[in-house]
Order: sequence, then C-alpha cells, then structure tokens
Amino acid sequence: MGALLAIEWMKIKRYRTFWVLVGLFMLLLPVWNYEIASGVMKFGSDAKGGVNILSTAYSFPDVWANLGFWGSIFIIFISILVIIITTNEFQYRTHRQNIIDGWDRAAFFNAKILVVLMLSIAATLFLCLTGLAFGWSFSGSLAHAFDNFQMVGYFFLLSLNYLGLAFFLAIVVRRSGLAIGLFLLYNNIVEHILKSVLNHFSDMPIGNFLPLQASDELLPFQLMQMMKSMMPASAISSTTYALVTVGWCAVYYFAGRAILLRKDW
Amino acid sequence: MFVTFISKIISLAHLLTIQNISKAYGSIQALSNVSFEVPEGSVFGVLGPNGSGKTTLLGILMDVLIADSGSYSWLGGMPNADARKQIGSLLETPNFYHYMSAYNNLEITASIRQRGLSDRDAVLKQVGLYERKDSKFQTFSLGMKQRLAIGAALLGNPKVLVLDEPTNWLDPAGIAEIRELIRTLNRQGITIIIASHLLDEVEKVCTHVAILKRGQLLVNGPVNEALRQEDNIEVRANDMSALQQLLSAMPGIVNIRSNDGTLQLTCADNITTAAINEYCSSKGIVLSHLLLRKKSLETKFMELTNK
Repeated sequence: MGALLAIEWMKIKRYRTFWVLVGLFMLLLPVWNYEIASGVMKFGSDAKGGVNILSTAYSFPDVWANLGFWGSIFIIFISILVIIITTNEFQYRTHRQNIIDGWDRAAFFNAKILVVLMLSIAATLFLCLTGLAFGWSFSGSLAHAFDNFQMVGYFFLLSLNYLGLAFFLAIVVRRSGLAIGLFLLYNNIVEHILKSVLNHFSDMPIGNFLPLQASDELLPFQLMQMMKSMMPASAISSTTYALVTVGWCAVYYFAGRAILLRKDW
Repeated sequence: MFVTFISKIISLAHLLTIQNISKAYGSIQALSNVSFEVPEGSVFGVLGPNGSGKTTLLGILMDVLIADSGSYSWLGGMPNADARKQIGSLLETPNFYHYMSAYNNLEITASIRQRGLSDRDAVLKQVGLYERKDSKFQTFSLGMKQRLAIGAALLGNPKVLVLDEPTNWLDPAGIAEIRELIRTLNRQGITIIIASHLLDEVEKVCTHVAILKRGQLLVNGPVNEALRQEDNIEVRANDMSALQQLLSAMPGIVNIRSNDGTLQLTCADNITTAAINEYCSSKGIVLSHLLLRKKSLETKFMELTNK
C-alpha cells in the first residue's frame, strides 16, 4: 500500500496542475472566508451597513459549520484535480504501461483510491487548521475549539463523496473535458432538478439522498440553517446523511472497481 | 502429483505457453484459437500483415486486453503480474508521463517493476538518450520516444523482452542499432518476442516465428522450418518429353511442372543444379537450359498470408 502511494506521489508531485489546483484551494478558502468575516464581502446589499445573508460567525463553535459549507464549494478544485490526474492516465495510455510494467489492475485502482483518500484527509486537515486559526482569532481562546467538531468529520465524508464521484466519472468517461463538464453540470444543475422533482412527488425528501446532496445536507448554507431552526425539526438526522454518504462512496468503489477490472484497457 | 511435476518441468523449457486464445471485437474475430509455445532463449517473431492480430495477442499476454477464451502462462506458470515485472515490454506506442523528464519517467517504471534506480543511466546511454535525460517526454521526437520505451523495457535486466514493432519511427541507423541490440541481448540469454509486419526484420533477427493472418495461426516453429525456402530449378532440352520421363525417375525430385516449354523442378535439399546436369548427361540428354530460381522469403510470406 505504501509502495502504491509512493508511486502515485512520484506521478503527481511533478505535475504543475496538481500544485495549481491544490494551491487555489489552500489560498481561496481562507481568503474568501476572511473577506466574509471582516465584512468586506456581502451578499444581499451593496450599501454599507446593508443586509448581509452570509454568516459572519467565525468564533468557536460556529466556525466549523460555516467553514465546512464553504469547504464544500471549494472542494470542487480538488474534484477537478482528481478527474484530471485520472483521465490523464487514460489519455496518455500510462494506465496500460503501469499494467505492462507489472501492476495488476486492482493495484492501479487501489493506488488511485489511496490518492482520493489522501486528498480527502489533506483537505480536511487544512480545513481544520483554517478553522482553528479563524476560531482562535475571533474567540480569543481555544476554549470551545472542539465543540461541534463533528462538522470536520462531515467535511471529510463530503470530500470523500465529491472526490469519489469525480474519480468514478473519470473512470467511466475517460476524457477529461467531458468528465469535468459532466461533474460540474451534475453538481450545479442536474442534481437540483432531480432533487426538486423527487421531493415534489414523494412524502419523504428522498431527493436529499442523491450522491452529492446527501453530503451537502451535512454542511448546509448557514442562512438556511437559521431558517430551518425556526421550522419543525427535520425528520432526517445528520447520522442518516452520513451513512448515505458512506453508502455512495461504497457504490463508487465497487462499481468503479468492477468496470476497471473487466474491461479491455 | 507426478503429472503436475512433469508438466511443470515441461513448461519450464517454454518461457511462454499460449493455449487456444480467442478474442473478438464485436463481429470481428481478432484471434481464433491461437496456440503456440515460445522456447527459452529464442528470438521469437510474431509475423503477420496489418490487422492480423499481433498487437491484440501481445495485449492479451500483457494483460491490457482480456481474451474471450483460452489461457497463457509465463515463466513456468508464475502469477502474471509477477512475471510482467521480469518482462521488458514495448507495446504499440511509447506511453510515458508527458510532463516528466525521461529520467523521472524511468523512476516510475523501475518502481513498479520493483527494481533499483541504479541502472537508469546505463539504459539511457544504451539507447542514446543520456544527454536528454532531463528533457520532458513531451519535447521528444517520435524516434526518441521509441528509444526511451526501449530503454524502459531494458531496466532491471529483464528475462524477456516483448517488442511490438520496435523499429517503428526509427531512422535507418536507429533500426540497425536496435537490431544489433536485440542480437546482443539474445546472446546474453534474454528471450525476445517481436511482433512485426516486416518480414525482413524477422528474417534478420529471429530464430523462431509464428505467422498470423486474420487471427489465425498459419505456421509456427524455427524460422528455417516454418519459412523453408523451396528452390525451383528450371531445365530445358531438345527432347522435352524424354527429359520429363528421365527426371521423374531421378531420386530427390519432388515435383515437376511443365510451363512454357520449361520444366520446373521442386527438389529435395541435397539436389543441386550440378547433380541434375550430371545425371542428365550420364543418361544421354544434353540440357539446353539450367537455372536455379531461389524463392525469396517474401514470396513465401505472401503465399502464406494470401492463401
């Protein structure tokens, strides 16, 4: 396992696109949140002192839910990265070369799964550090730093879900442009349509269980959260959404594996 | 127990055993029931025109393609992925990470094959790319990419080399170099399997050959048997019918065909033009025409593949 990961690291550490996309995530997540926290960036009104629907709660423990939501937006950079490094292997036929040189197909698949896992862990660690920095400077102490800390765990599951779907699409589609297009289209448009349709025609909000939506429900937009708290409590718990997320990750894993192991390369 | 022991010993002599491999792409039968063995220490040519199934066969043997039926076993039946680590291979196009240097690409190859990194310099020198070792793969010409692929195949002293059209994209000097390299490596005991549509290439370097045509195995075996050159001898004399009668009685004459007032003789290996001349004159017939026509391998190959 360590050997697989070491070889994947050789592949990506010299790839400029990897550093650019990881760099964008690491730069934009704190900058974006700093702008919101300091009141420079507002949604709702341009006028100074106008209404701002963005949550400016960056002290402990609110920082985790707030930052977790924005993380779910910026994780797109890493999802695109996963698609690019996977489809590159198909495009330059290096996936075949890896097999020819002595990996079996499962080794190739597992190596990429490990990359997805490591990127999810790294993104989560970075979010955690960013949260601690914001929380500390806004709270003045680390006293309640680990209240509501399950949000960080949710972000890990969300990352795994986004990167897992990105990897799965890359395996199925094999072309980077098309896979990125489909991923963004699904995330931004198709899933919203599906969700609305499903929830409209069903008593249970089953549309919330769609692949990415299940995780988005774990880290909702904070204004929505405020509105929801005024309404009757949702019947579906975060634990359920967490389990559904894990379920989707299992689907990507087993379906992706079956596709890669059976097809001609 | 005893039987498996015996079959293990037998399969050891064969570096590669292929049994009844078939593969279809939709309605196109790329390979049908191909079986043969590659003896250890040989230079084995897989020869056939474009589209005959050579690349499909090598793809299956390297596990990038999956056969519909049949089986193969490398190096006495060791697990295929382990066997591949000891096989240096070049299929179709050179596949490398475009954004990485030649040197760093070889690091990945060596790591997957679980070999040390120490002979990267040596193989790059061997294929004439040492000066460009730090250049990115995407800046290489086709010939250089091919050289790097051959270099990668040589990493870690493989027991076997599998080369699909190894002289593609190389200039004439490069082709000669690769041929010489193949001969040198074979002398060191490395078994080499080459797919080629160039008869000339196979004739110049191979000890054994398998000829494929539209997925069917036509012949296989040592080159001098599979591609045996049957010489024709042409003779004429004033009395053709007497000549024909006489020669049909001569030992070693396999076949006689009359063509345009000339007799074309297919002879056993030991029959020379001198022997025929001597035989005829001893029987009182003077030949007015005696000619040895060497049938080229090219003609033989065309005959085999155009049947």
